[in-house]
Amino acid sequence: MIRRGIAKRVGAIRFAYMSPEEIRRLSATKIITPDTYDDDGFPIEMGLMDTHLGVIEPGLRCKSCGGRVDQCSGHFGHIELAMPVVHVGYVKEIKKLLRSTCSECGRILMTDEEREIFISEMDGLRKLGGDPLDIRKLAKEIAFTARKSSICPHCDGQQLKIMLDKPTTFREENTKLTPKEVRARLEKIPDRDLIPLGLNPEFVRPEWFVLKVLLVPPVTVRPSITLESGDRSEDDLTHKLVDILRINHRLRENRDVGSPQLIVEDLWDLLQYHITTYIDNQTSGIPPARHRSGRSLKTLIQRLKGKDGRFRQNLSGKRVNFSARTVISPDPWLSINQVGVPVRAARELTVPMKVTAENIELIREMILRGPEPWEKGKYKPGVNYIIRPDGRRIRLTETNAETVAEKVEVGFTVERGLMDGDIVLFNRQPSLHRMSMMAHEVKTVPGKTFRLNLAVCPPYNADFDGDEMNLHVLQSEEARAEAKVMMMVQEHILSPRFGGPIIGAIQDHITGLFYLTHKNPLFSRRDVVSIFSNLVTEGSPEAITVDGERMWLGKDIFSHFLPEGLNIQLRSSICESCDTCKKRDCENDAFVVIEDGKLITGTIDESSVGAFKGDIVDKIARDFGTTEARIFIDRVTTLALGVITLKGFTTSIQDEDLPKMSVKQIEDTLLEAEEEVKEMAQAYRDGELEQMPGRTLQETLEVMALQKLGKARDNAGKIASKHLGLGNNAVKMARTGARASILNLTQMAGALGQQAIRGERPSRGYDQRTLPHFEKGELGAGARGFVKSSYKEGLNPIEFFFHSMGGREGLVDTAVRTSRSGYMQRRLINALEDLMVYDDASVRNPADTIIQFKYGEDGVDPMRSIKGKAIDMDDILMDMYAIKRERGE
Amino acid sequence: MANQNTVKALVRRGLDEKTATKLADEGYTLSDVKGASLKDLTDVIGKEKAGEVSKKLGGKKAGKKKKSPKKKKEVEIDIPEKLPPLSTIGKKLQKLCEKDGYNLPYTVIRDAANKIEEENIPQKDYSLMMELINDRFENRLVDSKESVGIVSAQSIGEPGTQMTMKTFHYAGVAEVNVTQGLPRMIEVVDARKVPSTPMMEVHLKNEYKKNRDKAKELAFELEETHLIDMADVEIDLVNMMAIIKPYMKKVKSDNIDLDKVVERLKKTRRVTGNVTREGKEIHITLGEDNQSYATLHTTVEEAKNAKIKGLDGVKRAIIRDTGEECIIYTEGSNLGGALKIDLVDIEKTTSNSPKEICDVLGIEAARNSVIKEAMDTLNEQGLDVDIRHIMLVADMMTNEGSVKAIGRHGISGKKTSVLARAAFEITSTHLLRAAIVGEIDRLDGVTENIIVGQPITQGTGAIEVKYRPVKTAEANTNE
Repeated sequence: MIRRGIAKRVGAIRFAYMSPEEIRRLSATKIITPDTYDDDGFPIEMGLMDTHLGVIEPGLRCKSCGGRVDQCSGHFGHIELAMPVVHVGYVKEIKKLLRSTCSECGRILMTDEEREIFISEMDGLRKLGGDPLDIRKLAKEIAFTARKSSICPHCDGQQLKIMLDKPTTFREENTKLTPKEVRARLEKIPDRDLIPLGLNPEFVRPEWFVLKVLLVPPVTVRPSITLESGDRSEDDLTHKLVDILRINHRLRENRDVGSPQLIVEDLWDLLQYHITTYIDNQTSGIPPARHRSGRSLKTLIQRLKGKDGRFRQNLSGKRVNFSARTVISPDPWLSINQVGVPVRAARELTVPMKVTAENIELIREMILRGPEPWEKGKYKPGVNYIIRPDGRRIRLTETNAETVAEKVEVGFTVERGLMDGDIVLFNRQPSLHRMSMMAHEVKTVPGKTFRLNLAVCPPYNADFDGDEMNLHVLQSEEARAEAKVMMMVQEHILSPRFGGPIIGAIQDHITGLFYLTHKNPLFSRRDVVSIFSNLVTEGSPEAITVDGERMWLGKDIFSHFLPEGLNIQLRSSICESCDTCKKRDCENDAFVVIEDGKLITGTIDESSVGAFKGDIVDKIARDFGTTEARIFIDRVTTLALGVITLKGFTTSIQDEDLPKMSVKQIEDTLLEAEEEVKEMAQAYRDGELEQMPGRTLQETLEVMALQKLGKARDNAGKIASKHLGLGNNAVKMARTGARASILNLTQMAGALGQQAIRGERPSRGYDQRTLPHFEKGELGAGARGFVKSSYKEGLNPIEFFFHSMGGREGLVDTAVRTSRSGYMQRRLINALEDLMVYDDASVRNPADTIIQFKYGEDGVDPMRSIKGKAIDMDDILMDMYAIKRERGE
Repeated sequence: MANQNTVKALVRRGLDEKTATKLADEGYTLSDVKGASLKDLTDVIGKEKAGEVSKKLGGKKAGKKKKSPKKKKEVEIDIPEKLPPLSTIGKKLQKLCEKDGYNLPYTVIRDAANKIEEENIPQKDYSLMMELINDRFENRLVDSKESVGIVSAQSIGEPGTQMTMKTFHYAGVAEVNVTQGLPRMIEVVDARKVPSTPMMEVHLKNEYKKNRDKAKELAFELEETHLIDMADVEIDLVNMMAIIKPYMKKVKSDNIDLDKVVERLKKTRRVTGNVTREGKEIHITLGEDNQSYATLHTTVEEAKNAKIKGLDGVKRAIIRDTGEECIIYTEGSNLGGALKIDLVDIEKTTSNSPKEICDVLGIEAARNSVIKEAMDTLNEQGLDVDIRHIMLVADMMTNEGSVKAIGRHGISGKKTSVLARAAFEITSTHLLRAAIVGEIDRLDGVTENIIVGQPITQGTGAIEVKYRPVKTAEANTNE
């Protein structure tokens, strides 16, 4: 594919209405016969598949242009209608025109002076920047004023009321107006009178709304398909056109022989019906035309409309080549910038290479290797196609490799398979934000799955339970350059949504780093070698001598990967937010201090390096550049995995074991709460419950019960977590932010708590009770969905039932939510897509309306901001002191 | 400040716009005009026009002099400074910036000043500090041609999937239900006229803000009460009268003046008969001439629904004492009414409906309201979205002077491009209409260009590189 010359742009598109003359002029042939093919299977002359309209079968040539199937895009034909028929899309317009013009003389129902005033008003509106919609609105108002006068100011003709019987019949008082009469009236309206009514006489005459000639689309627009059985199946449009032709024919015959008026009119109505459904098969008021099987036909408007219509399906979104899709799997040895592409995909996907004097030898070699070369069991990129300057493609095979290699010259293009380092786009649906499609570097891998680094899961929202992703190979140098500069993963470490990192350590990475840094453990030489064995790094961390042996401190190991000059202070996720923070002296080791790239105190966990929260990642990306940040994430995650592999990590049901004492305590708390709720219910029945302002008695009870039971669950949780310390692996995960939360743990160890349906206690099911196990009117905790058991203990059948109710609600909720939020996002994007920042930092739309004088009021890019703030003053101070130190002040 | 609705209504009835505006400016409503005497009208718009107006609109015969329409009260309000003034240090910094040509926003200067105060930085370092700030600030600016619209839309839409669907949540006060989560977000973006759970947050004037009694008084004044809420209404068929027996408890606690109730009932339409107070009861006796059961029945029904006090639409008012001040939360909203009450702090009191705020306080306030509501909804869900994205949405919604919805009936329907509109929703209508006015699509936007298959005009697509090859001697000889 070679593009030559200057790419031209379409400047503008003008929409206009086609006049009958234009249709006839455009038409390649007049269509008369309703039949399509003759017995030999050849298209009938002047039939719907006439070869003047283009060809759909290979071998035939178009009679209009002589082109073959892929050369001729088709030509229009036309049908002369026996009697005129109303166009459904414009009935409202016709009604407006009939009502606001004189039925006798066809003039607009206002004096010329009034008309001119309105026209100038319209011009004024246009000058003020009124768009076509504003003008339409004005035209509507004008038409409204005009139709109020019942006597024509021009000819004094009395105006009768004109009604529209949906969908296409017009009535004047009680007499039906035939389309012919309607057309005659519309013909009389002078051009100048159309302007105030919102029609542009340069492009449309109202009588054209009543069709005399019907445009027939080319056969290429409605191709017939040949079934396996050899039968032909026609397109819906062809079917409809056949109907129109048949009725048209009959109508003409009947009219010409002078059949009774009644029959002619019936046929006329039938023709109207067919043409109406040919245009829009969902017109309200008439039954849709159906296929023999009962399926309603997809006619013109249906082809354009909606999600599966031409616009949204084929024009706003397009199918592409050079793409692949397969299951994804994790690969911690890849960089976040890379993607593992399986060999099979790499062979199939190609990159065009232009043959130049500089690379011709290289390319010859490549071609000689054939289409599927291997070298020492390793993938080598092969060549699939050679494209000659005249556009001919030659497929490379083992056999023709040598001959082709000789033929290659400068100016040829060669399509080679992917090789390591190629830039590709990688995408996971739903593509909710721009980080759903990022550029990666190719790394060919064995197997059949795409591989990606775990740290890029958050932006794609990917996991490996069977997720599939798409890959697109860029085809031009310009595209590759743009992708590399703007779309590489490392450029998206910071999210424009909140000005923080969206790529960072997750799950085991965090646990690993916790093990490495918490309370600064010592690592032996053996350990360090094991941890470092998978890392690419220069130098080695500083060692200390303990008992005559060289040992390494965890924090020093971590510091080794921090860039020099990094200064930061933050609180770890494990911070217990004590009343007074002891900062560096924190006994939980939860205050992170990094000075000049050395970790002095603190535990590294989610709030340091995690995706969404990692402040260190944030700072590095911002102050040291994205490359440095990428290297940091790559290395630190591998480091963490080294540590966790060394240390080992597991969690089991025993992690939720509690001492007997606490189990008893929890039981007591829950029982107590239950008892209290019972008392409340009793008080409610006795009418002694004190009513909350603005709530009914029952609501009061519900609110109070919910509060009470919620508190009970919390208390149970507190008792449970007292015995769950940081020595517990499950707790480690929850506290460091690696996975799960304390709430999950308390639900496993303590009690599940209240199950809620629509935010309330379950109350429906049986008459005055949730389940037949309870007494009618029982309002206690258990009867209304309170689950005393923990996941570990297991739920009793009743509790299980309530839990399932809550679970089901969750599922339904998710299903509803995705569709609703999807639509909201579509609307938001549609409304805002055209907005762009201009050189003066103002935000404008294509109509050049200023939406914001300065983007975001301060002109700051949210992605570059620090959690929304333009400047972090602490950074400034640090810099300032550093400069002063340098100056020796 | 003419009421646009009135103007429109008058114009529709055949008045020219100037006259209509004049009338509306004077505080006339449509019914006022209809009922006004010729003389009143003459005062406002001159004799000639007055005659014309009364001819066109004089539904009711002149002479039945109506109270002359209330003149618009000129209310003087101190417009509060948008930004609090900078401290002395801040002002110094500002001067410094001006001198050095730094173009820093207010917030940055304020933050810098605060930091200086906090850390006691000597004055000689100010200029170094501002230089550093300016260097960093320049790196933080948006790039020209950046397609900020899409970024904002994605930033708001993407967390949508993480929002809860659960409609109700207790915001602040357990007594008031407020829509939250995704449904609320959709509501804000939709610019609904009335949100599903309208709410007001009414603050008391500074001097009363800790006064619980005043708060209570205000709450009573706000809460809409109908007769049926405070009394039993019985029908006495023998005497053809209605007997209203107020609940004394309610009357006392809500401080209802029974005489006022009588007054109210007398004024209530379709309550026919004689309203009198008989001790603790109120009687409505039908007149001698009108003794039908039907009339009695309608009278009783109307009386039951008669509003005794409060603001229309305010179903409940709940006082919440934060310790700092008493705030009244209301279910149902009537901001215009609330702001007229003397006890109310006009500056702090808000409603949760941007449209209502637009009607009462204007478009700027509505924009801030959209931002606030959207931010609150997101923050409540624990979602972190930069305020600039929401500002952009709010600015887009309020750009044309009224709160427009994001969607078919609002912004998307107003797009200039035919193709973009057709691609969004209601495809066929847009195309059919475009044909008869000869609309031109200039292909300036994103969708249009994608449809015709050419690069879009934002970001790298907005710039072009022109290359003029330099003819070298070598190239010439080759040719």
